[in-house]
Amino acid sequence: MRQRTRVMVLVGGVVLCSALAASCATVQPWERRELANPCMVFDASAAQAAYDAHWQSAREGSAGGFGFQGGGCGCK
Amino acid sequence: MQVRQRRGRSARVGTSLGLIGLLAVLALVAVTGLDWAQSTLYVQLHSFGDTRGVTVLSPLVDLEKDFSDRTGLRVKFGVDAVTAASDACARCHPQGAQDRRTYADFALLRKLGSARLELGGEISRENFYASESVTASLSRDFNRGNTTIAGAYSFSLNNPELHPSRNVEQQISHDASIALTQTLSKTTIVQLSYDFNRISGYQSSPFLRTSVNGQMVLGVVPDLRNRQAVSVRVRQALHAGTYLQADFRHYFDSWSVGSNTLSLGASHYFSPVWLVGFSYRWYDQTGAFFYQPEYFGTPEYFTADYRLAPFSSGLYTGRVVYTPEDGLFGLPKGTALEFQYDRYVGSNQFQAAVFSGGLRIPF
Repeated sequence: MRQRTRVMVLVGGVVLCSALAASCATVQPWERRELANPCMVFDASAAQAAYDAHWQSAREGSAGGFGFQGGGCGCK
Repeated sequence: MQVRQRRGRSARVGTSLGLIGLLAVLALVAVTGLDWAQSTLYVQLHSFGDTRGVTVLSPLVDLEKDFSDRTGLRVKFGVDAVTAASDACARCHPQGAQDRRTYADFALLRKLGSARLELGGEISRENFYASESVTASLSRDFNRGNTTIAGAYSFSLNNPELHPSRNVEQQISHDASIALTQTLSKTTIVQLSYDFNRISGYQSSPFLRTSVNGQMVLGVVPDLRNRQAVSVRVRQALHAGTYLQADFRHYFDSWSVGSNTLSLGASHYFSPVWLVGFSYRWYDQTGAFFYQPEYFGTPEYFTADYRLAPFSSGLYTGRVVYTPEDGLFGLPKGTALEFQYDRYVGSNQFQAAVFSGGLRIPF
């Protein structure tokens, strides 16, 4: 069941990649006002994102996927 | 002999902390003494508390500076002051046990045409745990900056000490990732990424004991763990200063832990000064193939690590950013105050609350 979910996710990713490659919009620099807003930037606050990822990965079995994990900690 | 070992260990920790502090101070002095093209100082304080009795105060300073249009530096220095009154600590220390993690993080950035190279590292020290990491990443823009492909690699060497003994174990981690960021329109951007992490060496906990045939013993887990994650992230701008975000991650590893994470959020500018945002994160994971509440017979692996048990959780986040038009407290224009509150509720009776406050100063 989980293997099937995994395959579906990977196939979905490939389909999405293909769709992205096909769309490939060319937005000109003067049209990027909204894209430049901090709300549109992935991990605009790197320090906050790193802190959130750190305490969440210390309390969950999963980690990664949204950037680096860095070194570990004892996290008793 | 044991005393000598302890003195040696204390001296090593002291020297390491001194070096970290010295590096951070030198870096800060160096960067503030130069004529930088652009820079941001970010000061944060995080307060964490959970239902297991652990509280953590985490002040940190993050400095980003550009030497020029092509070269930059990032330095981060932080401390986690831990009141480790968790179940594992309370067994031997009924009054709780203090701990402190100190870390320094630095990265050099260099633009090479349409590519961007970043080299960095992190040193982390705490009682019974030491960690060093080096990181290299390379990204490049295509299609007039509408497509970005990034790759990165990180190596970490972790050394847990098997408290209360003085034995030190070793753990090695390799992490590689690749990401594609694509502009879909003037108001939509998406990112796809894949992450592979291989951890070898000691991965159990010297603090957690589980029941095997009625006896409480320290856990034993496999020495190798391969972890993989794929993620999709989307940002959408709407009219009138409203922004939507959606993140999804699928994770699986060689210990049979699998998880799905979905995060949805929205932010809105109520005025140019006030930005308010909310998000909800849903998380669901399966347990490791060897996880059981208690063990009987002669199991090869056994653990009491609750992170390896199946559970789900919800995370509610609220965020406010205040950016006065004329600066704040006499600080430069663009200075912002940020507050964030997180409430984490797990199906395993675990709950946590996190409060973050930050001051971002451009200069």
